[in-house]
Amino acid sequence: FTGLFSRITGSKPLSKEDLAPILAGMKDHLMKKNVAVDIADKICEGVGESLVGKRVGGFGGVKTHVRGALSDAITRVLTPSTSTDLLLAVRNKRAEFNPAISDKRTPYTMTFVGVNGVGKSTNLSKVCFWLLQNNFRVLIAACDTFRSGAVEQLRVHVRNLSLLAEQTGTGKGGVELYERGYGKDAAGIAKEAISYAKDNEFDVVLIDTAGRMQDNEPLMKALAKLVAVNNPDKIIFVGEALVGNEATDQLTKFDRSLKEFSSTAGRPGRGIDGMLVTKWDTVDDKVGAALSMTYVTGKPILFVGCGQTYTDLRQLRVAHVVQALLSD
Amino acid sequence: MVLADLGRRINGAFAQLSRVPVIDDKALDALLKEVASALLESDVNVKLVANLRSKVKAKVKAAIESGADKGKDINRKNIIQKAIFDELVLLVDPGVEPYKPKKNHPNVIMAVGLQGNGKTTTCTKLAVYWQKRGLKSCIVCADTFRAGAFDQTRQSATKAKIPYFGSYTETDPVSIAAQGVMKFKKEKFEVIIVDTSGRHKQESELFQEMVQIGEAVKPDMTVLVLDASIGQAAEAQAKAFKESADFGAIIVTKMDGHAKGGGAISAVAATKTPIIFLGVGEHLYDLDKFSPEPFISKLLGMGDIQGFMDH
Ligand SMILES: Nc1nc2c(ncn2[C@@H]2O[C@H](COP(=O)(O)OP(=O)(O)OP(=O)(O)O)[C@@H](O)[C@H]2O)c(=O)[nH]1
Ligand SMILES: Nc1nc2c(ncn2[C@@H]2O[C@H](COP(=O)(O)OP(=O)(O)OP(=O)(O)O)[C@@H](O)[C@H]2O)c(=O)[nH]1
Ligand SMILES: [Mg+2]
Ligand SMILES: [Mg+2]
Repeated sequence: FTGLFSRITGSKPLSKEDLAPILAGMKDHLMKKNVAVDIADKICEGVGESLVGKRVGGFGGVKTHVRGALSDAITRVLTPSTSTDLLLAVRNKRAEFNPAISDKRTPYTMTFVGVNGVGKSTNLSKVCFWLLQNNFRVLIAACDTFRSGAVEQLRVHVRNLSLLAEQTGTGKGGVELYERGYGKDAAGIAKEAISYAKDNEFDVVLIDTAGRMQDNEPLMKALAKLVAVNNPDKIIFVGEALVGNEATDQLTKFDRSLKEFSSTAGRPGRGIDGMLVTKWDTVDDKVGAALSMTYVTGKPILFVGCGQTYTDLRQLRVAHVVQALLSD
Repeated sequence: MVLADLGRRINGAFAQLSRVPVIDDKALDALLKEVASALLESDVNVKLVANLRSKVKAKVKAAIESGADKGKDINRKNIIQKAIFDELVLLVDPGVEPYKPKKNHPNVIMAVGLQGNGKTTTCTKLAVYWQKRGLKSCIVCADTFRAGAFDQTRQSATKAKIPYFGSYTETDPVSIAAQGVMKFKKEKFEVIIVDTSGRHKQESELFQEMVQIGEAVKPDMTVLVLDASIGQAAEAQAKAFKESADFGAIIVTKMDGHAKGGGAISAVAATKTPIIFLGVGEHLYDLDKFSPEPFISKLLGMGDIQGFMDH
């Protein structure tokens, strides 16, 4: 990154020509950090526009300016524009309950969606652990009725989480699994689970879904049906930090298909509300996928998954990401 | 078709080339720029792309300087196309022959790779593939870490009618792997596939465990299973796996999606290891055999490579 500036010295206003090689180098740098090509392009374009005509003094001046402009641009993209406080959202939902109007409390529902093997079920379990620590009562709905072992995987997690809660004295609310085996309609199971949660005073329902490729229309329609039937409070897209240029396509198509296929006569379709970026611990400082994902959706990264144990769940630290992306 | 978009882009660039009146440096640069950006969008490693670009340039230059084009543009076009084709093939062909399971021999195959990349699914597919070709095949589940791992193997192997070995109570993967392989060797199985947990280079203990499993089962071939959607982290991870597990083959999974597999292709170049299969779906038979030249010519939409290579 530092090598890009040797050609500019004077204190005349920066021209497009001055900036071109710098921006090209910047784009290369971002791509090496695993930012998708088209996103790297757009970000550099924006940085270029913000700098053309600026008068900056000397070699050091240019460098500081360009670095600052890139840092600002990345920070803007990564900074959430909507609330990421899930605990507050869950509490608000609980507070909404008015016994004068209805006799049962409605649980807060979240569904985890994404392509195959990214870490949906594992990170759903981490989110569950976190909710238990905050004393919520959680029901996990096993709605991956396709992949071998998917139900048993959640059964193991629920068993572990119950034990952990007991041992640590947290999670007084408790956790349960709602499952109906394999081969059945996921949307229906989710619906049953939510009504079971209502009957048994659960605060939150976490809905696990099967992984699917974003181009697989029948599977995307089935997912949209689950969303349309159950209208979850949060639809969380789970994507891995390892993903390259596919990040763009995955998010665009999940969001679009969900919106398109979940719309009903009375209600517009629902899209992705936020992201959970997994396997953060496997990419060193190549954290560009986080930038690609937020650029494409304009939605916040709610959590970062950084390992394979229940405590490996973090909030995104924007400053850290910016630093990693700028580092040589 | 797999990689269709990339092929279309590169073809478009070739078509562009045949429309320019004179094939000079500028035309070559424009072509290379287009090819390079198509490769970058497919996640091919940034350095590899730069490398490919300069190698093609040097080759073409040398050919023209030696008069191979006989001063004709049409010959120049062929030289350029062939240089690019060859470099693309080199990307996916390290020129190493992968191990082939032998009849009447207990061939031990061990699957390794990053978390969630498709090892367990691929193990069953491989067993089905070799079983169909007359080799008595089975699976050993040496993943004691992932929740529900043994259930996954049990269910998918049962569906595929493939014998399997594993345990709900044993927590040491090395011991399970050794037990399973020994049992199946005694029973005269010919392909014994050992499935392992997902791991990554940043956790050295996990890598150590992989080395120990390898020492216990002495695989005839270790296979790296790699997700087609991986980006720029592919090279470092693949290199680390190569160093510790010395895998002899790569299987790229999830090629049925939109991903172009450029990251996985970069792993080939980084480790000089051949791809043997592509995973193209979640079902038992969703496994395609891989060979470099047909792959690239298919990618570029060229039916008849021979005709194309003629110059
Ligand atoms: N290193 C690391 N591994 C992770 C992380 N999150 C999940 N994994 C691993 O990724 C693998 C796949 O995780 P799953 O939760 O089964 O993924 P999934 O998206 O539910 O998979 P499907 O349901 O098959 O589509 C497992 O081995 C997890 O342990 C993470 O943050 N870091
Ligand atoms: N679409 C598609 N999905 C695949 C393919 N291969 C595997 N999968 C899916 O990818 C997900 C992860 O596959 P697994 O076989 O569990 O991956 P793994 O490498 O064993 O995972 P760990 O053991 O947790 O590291 C599952 O949902 C599989 O169904 C493929 O070729 N295409
Ligand atoms: Mg899952
Ligand atoms: Mg597995």
